[in-house]
Order: sequence, then C-alpha cells, then structure tokens
Amino acid sequence: MSDYLQIQNIHKDFSGLKVLTGIDVAVREKQRHAVIGPNGAGKTTLFNIISGRFKASSGAILFKGQDISNTPAHARNRHGLSRSFQITNVFQELTVFENIRSGVRSRSGLRYNFLRKPDNHRQINDRTEAIAAEVGLQAVMHMPVSALSYGQQRALEIAITLSTEPELILLDEPTAGMTREETGRAIRMIDRVTAGRTLIIIEHDMEVVFSLADTISVLHYGKILVSDIPERIRTDQRVKDAYLGEE
Amino acid sequence: MSEVPVFFLHGLAYAGLLFLVSAGLTLVFGMMNVLNFAHAAMYMLGAYFSFTLLQATGQFWLCLLICPLLLFAIGALVERFLLRRVHAYGHLHELLLTFGLAYIITELVKWVWGNFPQAVNLGGFLGRTVELFGIIYPVYRIFIFVCAIFVGTAMALVLYKTRLGIILRAAVNDNEMVNALGFNVPLVFTGVFAFGAALSGLAGVIAGPLLTTYPGMAHEILIDAFVVIVVGGFGSLGGAVVASLLIGELQSFGVLLFPKLSLALVYMLMAAVLIIKPSGLFGERQ
Amino acid sequence: MISQKKASYLVIAALFALGALMPFVVRKYHLNMLTEIIVFALYAVSYNLLLGYAGLLSFGHAMFFGMGAFTVAVSLIHIPGLSLWNAVLLAIATTTAVGFITGGFLLRHKGAYFALLTLAFNSLFYAVATKWHRITGGDDGLSITRPDLHLGFTTVKMAGLANFYYLTLGVIGAAIVFCWYFTKTAMGQTVLLMRENEERMKFLGYNTNISRLILFTFTGALAGLAGAFYTLHFQFVSQSAISVDMTTTVLLMTFVGGTGTFWGPILGAFVYIIVQNYLSDITDRWPLFMGLIFVMMVLLIPGGLSQIIQTIRGRFSGKRDTGKPVAAEESPT
Repeated sequence: MSDYLQIQNIHKDFSGLKVLTGIDVAVREKQRHAVIGPNGAGKTTLFNIISGRFKASSGAILFKGQDISNTPAHARNRHGLSRSFQITNVFQELTVFENIRSGVRSRSGLRYNFLRKPDNHRQINDRTEAIAAEVGLQAVMHMPVSALSYGQQRALEIAITLSTEPELILLDEPTAGMTREETGRAIRMIDRVTAGRTLIIIEHDMEVVFSLADTISVLHYGKILVSDIPERIRTDQRVKDAYLGEE
Repeated sequence: MSEVPVFFLHGLAYAGLLFLVSAGLTLVFGMMNVLNFAHAAMYMLGAYFSFTLLQATGQFWLCLLICPLLLFAIGALVERFLLRRVHAYGHLHELLLTFGLAYIITELVKWVWGNFPQAVNLGGFLGRTVELFGIIYPVYRIFIFVCAIFVGTAMALVLYKTRLGIILRAAVNDNEMVNALGFNVPLVFTGVFAFGAALSGLAGVIAGPLLTTYPGMAHEILIDAFVVIVVGGFGSLGGAVVASLLIGELQSFGVLLFPKLSLALVYMLMAAVLIIKPSGLFGERQ
Repeated sequence: MISQKKASYLVIAALFALGALMPFVVRKYHLNMLTEIIVFALYAVSYNLLLGYAGLLSFGHAMFFGMGAFTVAVSLIHIPGLSLWNAVLLAIATTTAVGFITGGFLLRHKGAYFALLTLAFNSLFYAVATKWHRITGGDDGLSITRPDLHLGFTTVKMAGLANFYYLTLGVIGAAIVFCWYFTKTAMGQTVLLMRENEERMKFLGYNTNISRLILFTFTGALAGLAGAFYTLHFQFVSQSAISVDMTTTVLLMTFVGGTGTFWGPILGAFVYIIVQNYLSDITDRWPLFMGLIFVMMVLLIPGGLSQIIQTIRGRFSGKRDTGKPVAAEESPT
C-alpha cells in the first residue's frame, strides 16, 4: 500500500538553528498518528512544513503520491489537507457561524463570486450548522468569538479546521489548556469528527494520545526517535529517557 | 564634456540634501514602523522659519541653529501628544495622522506665508563662487555637501560608538526586547522622532536658498526621500547614504542625458529595486 | 414586521425616487452640485472598499479616477462620432487594465510600503500626464461636449443639465448599489475575512493574493467610471484629476464620512462638497478646515461621521468602535 502522506528526509534550519533533521515519516490512509515529544522538539514546525506555512530547507512532502513540497498553503487545502493552530487562530470579530461558514463556502466553490450571497445558500448554511453541532457549539452559533469560553474557542478552532471537508486533518495540541473534563469531552468529539479520515495530532496529554492514536511518532531535538504502535512506545526506554525531567 | 564635473557636483549637493531629509525618515520608520508623511512638511517648515528669521536678522548661521531646534520641539510635541494617541489604533491610523498633519501644515504655510514662491538670497561668503579644478562652482552647493557629511558622520559616530547608539540600533531591530530590558522606549521614540524632525528642518533651512521656497516643496522632496529609503532599505543609515548618492546623481545626469525621461528615472529605479530586492539594498527582510 | 433585508431595498428605492424628483424641486445650481456629489460618492465608495473593507490604505486612487476622466476626454476628442456609452466603456476598460497591471506590482507589499508605493505611482502618473501635454492638454486641460445618448429607439439630448443628472443618477447610482450588494456577496465577504485574518484564509483554501488583486482591479474600475462621469459632468478635465490632491480629496471624504459603514463615504462626499462650496465663498482657507476635521477624526472619532450618527441612534451591528465594517448577519427571514 503506497503511503498516503510521505514525509521524506525533511530538514529545517532557521538562520543556522537546526530545528528538524532528517525527518522521515509515513502516514497511511485513515491512520491516527500522534506526534509527541518534549517542548521545542520541532512538532509545530513539522506541521507548518506539512501544511505549507513554511518551506522545508530540504526534503520532500508527498501527499497521495503528489509532490506538494512547493505547493502554496491554500492549494494544499484544496487537495484535502487542513490544520488547526496551537494558539486559537480564528476570526475574532465574527460569530461562530460566520467563522465556520468561511471554510464551508470555500469548499463549495463560493470564494470569489461577485454575484452570489452566502446568506442565500441553503446547503452551505445547513452544512455550517451541522459542523457547529458536531463540535458541540450549536447553542452558541450566533455569538461572537469574544463571548466564548476557552474550551469553546478550542472547539471552534477544530470546527474551522473541519469546515473545508478535509481528508487529512492536522490538529496541533487541540486540548492545550483544557480542564480534565473538557479534555474528556474533546477526546470524544475528535474521535467522532475524524472518523473515516486521516488524523495527525500533536499532543502533550498522554491520555489523549493513548485514547486516540494507533501510531505514535516521538520527536526529540528535531529527530524522530521512534515510530511505532502505542503499546511498544509505552515501554520504549529511549522514549522514557527523552521524557525524563518532564512531569 | 566639460559639463560632466559640474553635473557631478550638482548631484553631490542634491544627494547631500536628500540624505539629510531621508536619514531621519528611515530611522523613524525602522524604529517605530511609522512612515512619517509629515516629515517633508517639517522640512518645509524649516525652510519657511529660516526665511522669516533671515529676513528679520540677516544671519544665516542663526537660522541653521535655531530652526532645527524649533522643529525638534515641534516633533517632540507631535510624537508625545498626537502620534502616541493613535498608536493603539494601529499602523493605518498612524499613517493617516501623519498624512493629516502634513496636509494641515501645508495649508497653514499657505495661509501665513502665501501660496507663492519666496526667494531666499544669501549674501556673504556662501553667496559666492569658488574655483575648483578649473571650474567655477557656487560655494553654497559645496557647503550643502559638507553639511551632509558632517551630520552623517556625527550620526554614525553616535550610532556605532556610543551606548545610546547601541540602544537605538537595538530598538530598530526589536523594540519590544529593548523595552523588556528596562529602557524607556517611549522616551527614545519621542527623542528619535524629534531628532528626525530637527534633521528635516535643518535640511529645509539649507534647501531654501538652493531650491525655491514654496508650499509644494514638501511634496517634491517627499517622493525622492521615499525612493531613497525604499532603495536604501528601511532603517539603514548606510543605505540612505548610498541611495542618496545614487538618486542625486541620477537626477542630475538624468536631466542632461534623458531629458524626456528624467522624471520617470527615479521611479524606474525604485520599481527595479522593489522587484529585485524588495527590502532595499541594505534593508533587512521585515 | 419588515425584515432588515427588505428594509434596505425600500430605502434604496426611496432614495432613487427622491433623486428623480430633484430636478423639479431644486435650482440649477444645486442640481449641478448634486450630480457632482453622486459622482464623488461612487469614487469614495470604491475607495472605502479598499480602505474600510480590505484594510488597504492607498494613496494612489486618483490614478484610476484620472485615467477614466482622461480616457473619456481624449477618446471623445480624437475619435469622431464616438458614442457616450463607448467612451465610458473605454474608460472602464483602460482603468481595469491599469488596475490589474499596477496591482500586480503594488500588492506585493503591505501596510506602509504599499501606501508609499501607491503614492509614488500616483505621482508618476501625474508626471506623465503633465509631460504629455499634447494629449492631456497640460495646464489648460481638455474641453469636450457631452455627446447625446443614443438608445436605439430614441436619442436623449445630454447638453442640458437635467438629462445628464438622470443619467448620472441611473448609472452611477446603480454602480453604488452594486457595490452595496457586493459587500454581501461571496467575494465581498472574502475581502472582509482577509482583513480579519489573512493567514487563516490561506489555510481555508483562499488564494489571498488573487483575491486582493481582483478587489484592487474592481475598485480601480469603479473609480474609473466615476472619473468618466466627472469629465462628462464638467465637460472639462485637467491634470488635477490624476493628481495626488485628488487622492487626498477622496481620502478625506471617505474617512470623515466614516470607513466603518457602507454609506459613510457617501455622506462624506456629500459633506465635503457642500462644505467646499459654501466655505470657499467665505474663506480661501477651507482646505485647512477640512484638514483639521480630518485630524480630529483620526485622533478622536476614527469611525468618522457615521460612527457619530450610529452612536446617537444607539444601534449596534457588530463592534463599531474600531471603525471597521463588520459582516453583520442578516435576520433569517
């Protein structure tokens, strides 16, 4: 089976500072792949390279067999890739509904149209409501972002990521800053909304990782330490050593 | 062509003037990320204050001293009480404010001094010509260039040899960090802005006798100054020097070699730089 | 209970009806002024699509206004028998082309760089217009006579003021209404969203560079249309139409009127021209007056007159204190 997402020998330097060295990861379709590692290991940088925010210093990214290393971010999204942000990155002045709809109408081809109004589109508006319901934000759909709780904002962050109907979802620390209870709800929600799709998730919370992931890659000082199924990662000595000092 | 050396010297003189105007502009922009449209208006104020003071006292040296100080005070007041107020609204508003100020200053000048050119005549030593390598050349233009070198050197010394200079250069690079290190950044900003205004005013005083003193002079030099800092790179003093020389000579020889195109030459240079190296010759990628 | 949507359409219809009555109730002098106001209202509205909606401060909008103005004059003079429509269409075509090409250069930069570049380009266009005085008439300008409007079944004489006023009301009015409609379309919303969070837009599949270029070209074409009618109205155009002063004028109008609403710039055009007309009789220094109002607005009331009016009416449609237009949800009816 050819790999769905192929990360080939990625290096990333920032003005001499080597953040990523020789990253090789293969993600299979419908896999749930967690990327873990101590702070500063380069996880978000990896996401930035996969999603097109930064260009790698060398190496290649292949998605569904196509080389997307030089494809701009918006085009990668059109190919079915979508990512969330570690720090909530939404449209602050708009309502939840408008936030989610921005992605939905992008998927529906209503991006640059001079004549059609998104308000008049039953299909787009219904889909937006459905996504809001999926992440549990239906009740606050018409409220501005500023009125949401932190947990709700993180849910919105995920909702926007989903709004373009992606095949490949990248979630960057979706449960960061959440309470135990919120995290539990978030795990169930993420499980639900990513069913049937491919998920790559960066997380620090091991409960989330072991609940959701079927494969785990451990990143340490910009290198992949090991990539394996959860049971073996749990007992891997190198992983334990890397995390010594954490928690 | 015996005219070439003369044109070259003309270019130097104009380059000197351009440098005096652009140096303050580029420093303010590099440090505070504010493009001060009122900068050229202050240049114009310098010229007009000097015109009046000269008429009253006949002492050009007095003008050179007093007018920049006046502009320093004005610049400080503008920064402290106006610019800082709109800082919270964002860069767009800062631009709009400086633009509005430029507009008002221009209208005030028209009101007080009249909407027509004023001639500034300098007698004495500066009004004479001197013989230089077989050419008869006006002393005044040499004086401009000398002034520019003097100011430029002084600025370079301060920036690179003093503690204040280090703080200033650091602030151009990363002003939040400098603030975190405990330096009174707002005070630094006021000082730099005021200094930029004073420098601009000095340029105005000097420009008066050379170019015509009229309400449109601000706009004229503004475009060239903008081109200098685009070409030289925002925040770079060295860039301002090189770009001033380039543009000064280009303007000078442009009139000689391509009279039809001379106006567009400067713009074409700017367009070329923007395409090839958008951050300017010596600028850093923002 | 009339929905917000239907109420808007009623207001528009009422305004047109009111406009249609004007030639019967106002004097010639005022009708003249009203025509000018409508033209500048479009100019200001197009400018606000850049400034208020897209967050792009341009100091070069007069490039397009002047381009449209000159295209009409030059084509009417040099192409005998050119119809009114074709002159206007030509103006729109040239400004669209210019907008697309210059946009390609200018939009690579943001914020202050962009503002600076547009200023330089505007100055360049002005310099060219001055140099090319054989075509543009230089300081003397170009005079034209308004051609009659051929509508196939009938010919409407345009020499008189009333007929041209109706044409302006119809054509320019329609253009302004289209701009209003545009803000609710997919593209209009995209522009707003880009101002809010351009980065996120990219990750949602929007090509933000193309979007900006499309908007820039669109607003340029609108300004060109306004410029075309400017020439037709005064039957004269000089290089002042393409000067930086003409950009300053629209900036003042738009900002004083208020960048946070659609109708702010229209109000701004109205106020500016009225003030200009009456104040210029009292004093030569009326630009100073306008400048002071402008700076006051920047310092104290960034949302302009429309912010004042809305505060008085106590209406809220999203956050207004930032003076930015917000995508207001229409009621589901």
